[in-house]
Amino acid sequence: MIRLEKINKTYFGAQPLHVLKGIDLQVNEGEMVSIMGASGSGKSTMLNILGILDNYDSGNYYLNGKLVKDLSENEAADVRNRTIGFIFQSFNLIPFKTAMENVALPLYYQNVNRKKRNQIAMEYLERFGLKEWADHYPNELSGGQKQRVSMARALVTQPKVILADEPTGALDSKTSAEVMQILREVHETGITMVIVTHERGIALRTDKIIHLKDGIIENIEINNPDSIDFSKEIK
Amino acid sequence: MDFWREIFMALSRNKLRTFLTGFAISWGIFILIVLLAAGNGIMNGIGEEFSDQSKNTYMIYGGETSKPYKGHGTNRSIWFNDKDIRFLETEVKEVDQVSPCIYQSGFANFGDKSGSIFVQGVRPVFKDINNTKMLEGRFISELDEKSSEKFIVIDDNLRKKLFDDEVSPLGQFVIVSGIAYKVIGICESEGRSDGGNGYVPFSTLKKITRKNWYWMLHFTVKGLETKEENEAFTEYLRTQLAHLHEFDPDDTSAVYIGSRQEGYLQTMKIFRTFELFIWIIGFAMLISGIVGVSNIMRITVKERTNEIGIRKALGAKSRSILASIVTESLIITTIFGYIGMWLGMVAAEVGGNVLSKVQEGKEISLNIVPSIDIRIVLMATALLIVCGVLAGFFPARNAVKIKPIEAMNYR
Ligand SMILES: Nc1ncnc2c1ncn2[C@@H]1O[C@H](COP(=O)(O)OP(=O)(O)OP(=O)(O)O)[C@@H](O)[C@H]1O
Ligand SMILES: [Mg+2]
Repeated sequence: MIRLEKINKTYFGAQPLHVLKGIDLQVNEGEMVSIMGASGSGKSTMLNILGILDNYDSGNYYLNGKLVKDLSENEAADVRNRTIGFIFQSFNLIPFKTAMENVALPLYYQNVNRKKRNQIAMEYLERFGLKEWADHYPNELSGGQKQRVSMARALVTQPKVILADEPTGALDSKTSAEVMQILREVHETGITMVIVTHERGIALRTDKIIHLKDGIIENIEINNPDSIDFSKEIK
Repeated sequence: MDFWREIFMALSRNKLRTFLTGFAISWGIFILIVLLAAGNGIMNGIGEEFSDQSKNTYMIYGGETSKPYKGHGTNRSIWFNDKDIRFLETEVKEVDQVSPCIYQSGFANFGDKSGSIFVQGVRPVFKDINNTKMLEGRFISELDEKSSEKFIVIDDNLRKKLFDDEVSPLGQFVIVSGIAYKVIGICESEGRSDGGNGYVPFSTLKKITRKNWYWMLHFTVKGLETKEENEAFTEYLRTQLAHLHEFDPDDTSAVYIGSRQEGYLQTMKIFRTFELFIWIIGFAMLISGIVGVSNIMRITVKERTNEIGIRKALGAKSRSILASIVTESLIITTIFGYIGMWLGMVAAEVGGNVLSKVQEGKEISLNIVPSIDIRIVLMATALLIVCGVLAGFFPARNAVKIKPIEAMNYR
């Protein structure tokens, strides 16, 4: 599903910073992997490249069999819209839109009509137990609720890949467990998932842990998440 | 349809932002219009103050020749005739309006009262040229002149002689040299003499006296803005008249050509200076309005950079984001721009009314009545709207251009 070949990325700030130093990675369809590593090791950078939110300097990135390189603005927007769903640590909900409108927004960019949009958005909210909160604005929701809204938004277009950058980073351990539970369920439907995390407890609930260190993949750890009791708290 | 819904929603859900942006625009336009109106008011006040000198007027009198020319001897009197009027009206492009003068002196009677009178047959423009001040009623009109009405405007001296204080002369008939004239107006007396003056339509007196030669011609001119131009014009006029009346062009005693150009030129200078001053102030206001509006637009777009990043991550195309931001700012600037414009005009109008009430009947050196030039108002409003939209467009375009992750992480 995802294939990275010798990906290099340098930030040209005041001092050039070589963040990714030739990353090779393969994530198969339906796989759920996590990326761990010290702060500044390049996890977010890698995820942003996977999400076409940022570009890379050299190497090749294949998504769903297609080379993602030098895409035009519009092509990139289309790929993001149809193939990828994002979950962020800080939720990134639009503050002046209700939960339902936030979830429906990706469909707006697919030109789905309003009635259909809201109907689909409602289904997803219901699935995440947020039916009653559909008309609330993000600032009226708890962190866990916000993250569930953003998960609903990520899934509403039925993407092939979910990219999550520290999805539980802003949540307490109980809520984190809930979120992971949901992600695990989503994964069960066959969606490929890449999760960046600091927490080993989270990482252990994925199929593989990719350890990143100083811009290279140090090693890949294979888990057996099915042996873990998901109802248990993480931390 | 969906597009407009999105726009409307974004505007109404961000009430404070919408209001602040709109307020900045309304305020900018409001202040601009009020100041322009005040400036105009001052201009009008000055204009009124100098109204007797706001027209460049000429008068020519016939004299006597002092040099022999083409077989004519000296001491020949020069009189003007209809040919001269036609010449001035049709062949001299600088001449605007001509009022020839016929006169008749005699006695005016009303009932058993009478007084000496000097009657002049004049055209309506004479009032401006002579700067006649009306006390009651009106001066001779174009229509009176055209239909040779037997109407008369009398001065205050004659009124005192003919009418008791309690009688209103307007509409009464006075007899001058056997002809009954209806009194249509009373004007201030000129000079110190207590002889009565009367003005009747030129065409009326021409018919009655059967005169077709005139001692004096008055006319207004246009486009002579400098001393040099006026001197050249006088010279040209003298040569032309010399040609028409066969006298030596160097003979300065044949016709006398006088003008009020000095007062006029000075007035124009004052006028121009003030006009420039007001334009500079207006321009400065406009610039500060544009800067204010642009700044607030820029800030609001900056504020939305995160939102733009999120939308891009969700698959929004740059074009669609840009279109909504520009449409939003267009709607805000247009609606609030017009509100500001109307409020400004209402304020100018109300201010004008209040000021003219206050000034009414008082001897104030300067009457300031604010007024607005609707074309300038519309142009200024349009300019602010366009600048507001452009000021929103460029930062929006920049925000849309950067990578989505940068926009999302923007602080
Ligand atoms: N836009 C940028 N410009 C310059 N340098 C950047 C930029 N973004 C990140 N970096 C630098 O690149 C390095 C890797 O950043 P990245 O965000 O990928 O780290 P991370 O592994 O996600 O860390 P964390 O666990 O703290 O989120 C860091 O040293 C960071 O300072
Ligand atoms: Mg990170």
